Amino acid sequence: MKQVVDINRIFEENNATLKSKNGAVNYIAVPEDDFINTMVNIAGKNVVLIGLFCVHNFDSHPGFSLLYVLEKRNYNNIVIVTRRLEQSSAGSVATLFPSACWFEREITDGFGVTFPDAFDKRHLFLHEVYPEGFHPLRKDFRNQPVITGETIPVDGEYVFKKVTGEGVYQIPVGPVHAGIIEPGHFRFSVIGETIFNLEIRMFYKHRGIEKLAEGKTPQQAVQIAESISGDESAANAAAFCMAVEYLCKTEIPRRAWQLRTILLEMERIYSHLGDMAGMITDVAFPKGASSFFVLREEILRMNNALTGSRFMKGIICPGGLTKDIPPQAIIELSKYLDDFTARLKTAIDSIYATSSVIDRLETTGVIKKELVNLLNITGPAARASGVAIDTRFDRSYGIYGDISAQFHKRIAEKGDVLDRFNVKAAEINDSAMLIRYLISRLDKGEVSAGIEIRDGYALSLIEAPRGQNLHWVYIKDGRIDRYKVRTASFCNWPAIEHAVLGNIVPDFPLINKSLNLSYAGTDL
Amino acid sequence: MGKLNKQFLLYTPGVTEKLTFHDGEFEKLGFILKTEVNSIFGRSLAIRELDSGSDNAAEIEMNNLGTPHYDVERFGITFVASPRHADVLAITGAVTHNMEIAVRKTYAAMPSPKFVIAIGDDACNGGIFAGTYAVNGGADKIIPVDLKIPGNPPSPLEIIQALHGFMNVLSQRKTKRQP
Repeated sequence: MKQVVDINRIFEENNATLKSKNGAVNYIAVPEDDFINTMVNIAGKNVVLIGLFCVHNFDSHPGFSLLYVLEKRNYNNIVIVTRRLEQSSAGSVATLFPSACWFEREITDGFGVTFPDAFDKRHLFLHEVYPEGFHPLRKDFRNQPVITGETIPVDGEYVFKKVTGEGVYQIPVGPVHAGIIEPGHFRFSVIGETIFNLEIRMFYKHRGIEKLAEGKTPQQAVQIAESISGDESAANAAAFCMAVEYLCKTEIPRRAWQLRTILLEMERIYSHLGDMAGMITDVAFPKGASSFFVLREEILRMNNALTGSRFMKGIICPGGLTKDIPPQAIIELSKYLDDFTARLKTAIDSIYATSSVIDRLETTGVIKKELVNLLNITGPAARASGVAIDTRFDRSYGIYGDISAQFHKRIAEKGDVLDRFNVKAAEINDSAMLIRYLISRLDKGEVSAGIEIRDGYALSLIEAPRGQNLHWVYIKDGRIDRYKVRTASFCNWPAIEHAVLGNIVPDFPLINKSLNLSYAGTDL
Repeated sequence: MGKLNKQFLLYTPGVTEKLTFHDGEFEKLGFILKTEVNSIFGRSLAIRELDSGSDNAAEIEMNNLGTPHYDVERFGITFVASPRHADVLAITGAVTHNMEIAVRKTYAAMPSPKFVIAIGDDACNGGIFAGTYAVNGGADKIIPVDLKIPGNPPSPLEIIQALHGFMNVLSQRKTKRQP
């Protein structure tokens, strides 16, 4: 048997358990011959593949390097296994770590690195209109308009999984949906009303975010991070800036982190409120939903008073904040939150008092706990299925380490729509409480530190409203050479394919809304 | 005025809790818009929203137009499920290559006369994505656009202001044609 690199030992080094602060990020180069055995050795042992991406000309290695970002539950060291390829093909790990399936397809489209033994080799973000052999993330491609097809020949169409049998029929939905929703395609195979199989095809909104960031200065790239997903602007901007600050070894002023945390929790509040309103709308109870919509609009207006943008764009920057928040807006926010919690409770109580609504939410769209590690399901979706993960606690960043004693992870056990509704409701309360706590202890002083851009690379993980987002920034000669983003939505979409099985088609919008994933954040 | 009062009466008794907020500017504009919609579009303006690759903030603001603070249905504006029912296509995003065919098909499915409104910087001219590999760089590269509403994203008030402006342009066109 070949010598394998003992990844487990690295996780457990220095007793890096959850209790301590932010753990180390260890880059371990594993020789190609040992790679698969190394991965076999850790598969299924509470080790989760939270990210996998390719870098062209990484460090001193010409050609392609694959970086496997691994997390072990209850330990806070991160291990990044680097795999330096001599050619443009590699062995797949998708059977060991199913979350790798979309990651590997993404790499094949972006770089032309193939995984010949993978079980799914279809295109991911490059749809049929793109020319064959086009790989936008390679360094030899300069970002410029490309000529794409105007029609799709029938034999060139994307192939969905075929389910056959007596009475099985397909329902194709999208990319253009009936409401004001982002585009995506859902292919249902249905028997009667029961969903037998669902395949989700995304990436209609692929805008080339990662390539766009290349060649930009970190200051310029914040705007790109903000447009990953409009309703996660603050989280993605903060995660990007954190990565830059780690690698430039910049300490930002405490006040800046306090204000950033207020903004991040405001984002969680309005995002969760929108999800809850959506769930209640989708069971046709608009009166119940309107209370949540009213609260959300008020929060969006608070955002505007705090930052000048309803989506808090343009305030977070490398080194802190671009501007301080007006003291009057903070006083107003504090006053507003005084009776926010009571109003939220009234709204939720009216839902709980309506049995026809609870009947729709309960036992619907169950996400099994066993899937969480395999697919890297994250955020409220994982917590509602009984898995206690929350990056704010597990690898606390900024000032979360100091305030984590004020609240706790919200966990539920059944994993159905009602549990996700409850977890989100509880988290809104926590966020409101945290904001008030922070306002009462707000430090005085600067909101920005000078930042001296250095070359290097760094990883940052942040708990966005939908779950953990991963950002990896590689700076060469003061400019971004590679920017990898993996949002919670990217990993949580496949969870919906599992959650709907055995449910009826009319419950699909409800299940979808209970996760309310970002299409923009997935498609990049 | 008597007509307006009758409308308000319908909302007051026990339908929902008492409204405590008043967005003066928005409401005033909304009721002006309503009279314009009444005369130009025969009492109802049907909008089909189409996302061609936005960052989703514009979708949130469009959804907000239907929520209690704004509730634009009272001004005769509805968001419809099918392009076949639509007078106006409200498009967001810089039109990605992956969405291009769907955008063309959606526009083709609308009955004439039809109008297109580009909402947000990306839809107006490609925004930060202009000139890159994945997008066409603005809605007018693919379909004719009648009105552009810039913003990142434009707020509900800005959208309504722009619609009011658009109605003015349309009514001028109409009066020019009549004599």
